[in-house]
Amino acid sequence: MTPNLPPVTITGIGSVSPYGPLAGLIPQYPPERPLEPSPITAWTSAGPRRAFLVQPFRPASVVPGLKTRRLDRLSAWALVASSLAIQDAGIDLSQVDRSRVAVVFATAFGCVELTEAFYLSAAANGWNGTDPTTFPETLASAPPSHVSLFHGLRGPNVTVSNKDFAGESALIQAASLLRHGQADLAIVLAGDALAQTLYSWYEAAGLLSPACYKSGPLPEAGGFIPSEGVAALVVESSGRRNVRPNVRPYARIGSGRWAAGGQPAEIIRQMLGGAVPSLTVCSGNGAPCATSSTTALAREISGDGAVIIPPQPFAGGLAGTGALFHLILALSSRPISGQALLLGTAGDSGFAALLLELP
Amino acid sequence: MLSGESCLEPTRDVYPGFEGTTAQVRELAPLEELSSSRYSRTDRLATVAAQDAMANSGYDSSTFRDSGIVMANTVGGLTEIDTGIAEDPAAWYRRPGSLLRGASYPFAHVADAVGEHFGIRGPRCAISVACASGAMAIALAANMLLDEAAPIMLVGGSDPLCPFTLSGFNSLRALDPKPCSPFDQNRNGLNLGEGSAVLILETLASATARNAKVLAVLRGWAMTNDAFHTTAPEKQGSGLADCIKLSMEMAEVSGDDIGYVNAHGTGTPLNDIAEANAYETAFRGRSRPIPVSSTKSYFGHCLGAAGALEAAITIMAVRAGALLPTLRLADPIDSPGVDWLRGKVKRQPLPLAMSVSSGFGGSNTVLIFGSGRS
Repeated sequence: MTPNLPPVTITGIGSVSPYGPLAGLIPQYPPERPLEPSPITAWTSAGPRRAFLVQPFRPASVVPGLKTRRLDRLSAWALVASSLAIQDAGIDLSQVDRSRVAVVFATAFGCVELTEAFYLSAAANGWNGTDPTTFPETLASAPPSHVSLFHGLRGPNVTVSNKDFAGESALIQAASLLRHGQADLAIVLAGDALAQTLYSWYEAAGLLSPACYKSGPLPEAGGFIPSEGVAALVVESSGRRNVRPNVRPYARIGSGRWAAGGQPAEIIRQMLGGAVPSLTVCSGNGAPCATSSTTALAREISGDGAVIIPPQPFAGGLAGTGALFHLILALSSRPISGQALLLGTAGDSGFAALLLELP
Repeated sequence: MLSGESCLEPTRDVYPGFEGTTAQVRELAPLEELSSSRYSRTDRLATVAAQDAMANSGYDSSTFRDSGIVMANTVGGLTEIDTGIAEDPAAWYRRPGSLLRGASYPFAHVADAVGEHFGIRGPRCAISVACASGAMAIALAANMLLDEAAPIMLVGGSDPLCPFTLSGFNSLRALDPKPCSPFDQNRNGLNLGEGSAVLILETLASATARNAKVLAVLRGWAMTNDAFHTTAPEKQGSGLADCIKLSMEMAEVSGDDIGYVNAHGTGTPLNDIAEANAYETAFRGRSRPIPVSSTKSYFGHCLGAAGALEAAITIMAVRAGALLPTLRLADPIDSPGVDWLRGKVKRQPLPLAMSVSSGFGGSNTVLIFGSGRS
């Protein structure tokens, strides 16, 4: 099996995260003081609880004219992040055939805040008295639908999920749409919003880091710190990008593979076709642990001399949707060029790998 | 279905106080391992359908080890969760078995459930695009097959009835309390159903090489978005018409080549008129009206599974040369370019047929199937 994805280029980045709403890379990253989890105030719990949270902001102050009053935070962030990515790519959508623009959204939990709200309305009023305005917004595909609606994008609109590699699979699906001529340009989004039911599940399952309960230096192991946010990338077929002058390509996506099992090192080497990436960006979930299974696989593929960026605490706290943020953080952290591997692992032998060429 | 039998009946046991019409899977074939509480009803429906599809493929089960899986759904594990989770999550998770029930909530879980149950280790993902999910899963799986992401794809959709969705559609006043009548002038809404369908996709070269029984050939597929409204389709159906035209371009066929359209046909006032307008636009210039029916009149609207189930029915229609009528269609929408199928099943050779799906958020997906002989 030979992966046969086309080269597509990432030309725009937008994000909504604990670093705020941003177009392009994260300035001055890594910061002098590492990002710390914030206290959770959205619900009450037995003692303080912390997570990497998006601080409240007014979407219309970032994207003039944006109306988000009826939307949940995830949809609002998707709208802001996509707008910032399009702006960063220097694309004037009025000059683009919008029937050829796809939206691919990766999420693990969808609109979980409104799902909670819908359950609460059922608890209060009975199932025959639920709120009709909330129901359609509980769909996992609501955020990208709002993106298509707001920007007038009439190409394919896809919501994809995968327990461990939703971000990577969204990038691969978007590249595939471009390759098959089903779109010329795609907005790829990945992210989730943190809600009480979700946090409580992590807690009940014993998955949380001690840092969720007290401030101080982040431990390298012993659980993870839940996160929230949405990252957006503009990806274009290389042919289309070449006809736009003054475009700053962040990276070219060469090929990609993911699987739930098998022999990851062997399959990834086959995908690389003899290339040895000089850098591996690990996108595995969990704590920033240099001995994680992802970094171990990266070493097995690239050897001891290669630069390996381990999973980052904030991006690792997004269950399955952190890949785009891992890439953004890596690109923000240092000037890098050459071939890089975006790599995630899960379970015994699950993996996702994308080969990137950095200009 | 060939004898005009409908599965729609008065709703029982979804939630107290609901009176309406639905189609329910009464006896889900038992699989021993599925008694585990980590499998939601969505997972169980999909796993049973996947087992049937694999058994029907003629492949030994070990052949599927490196297969890819794309499973569509909208409900995820909501069937296993009650309102208590929102009132006091910490207390809810202290209930026995609730951690596993909560773990089945993400809509990706169904792909993992199928993969883990059958030991399949290829690429897997889930798709959730409202009522277009099942069809879009097939389109994306076809892309993955062409990308050589996996040698074989298991693809389908699964969605169960549950209080959450039934209540949601009821709150929107989208439900017909009686058995629905899609495309009728007096249509009054949809009926929800539940189910799952799974298809085995492989390249024609692979199927031919093993002398397989080719059920159908997926000749064309396309996806578009209306970019019009979160719940309502664009009245002229222009996004859907574009999708139909794109799928025919891909299949390199004209409107005259399509012998039957298995419509989305929910029975809601807005969907059906937009869809009729889309057919008028997309099949303009065709020498005779395009035959169209909605098989949701037999088993309701199965949401994330609908596109996959209707793809399977379209394939069966092609194989049997049978154009299924819409049930209870007494007074069709006035649409001169459409031959609204009603009454008895029409028997005729059917080289090419189309399955059409749309959903909340404006997503459209169209699949064109040809007979294995075409």
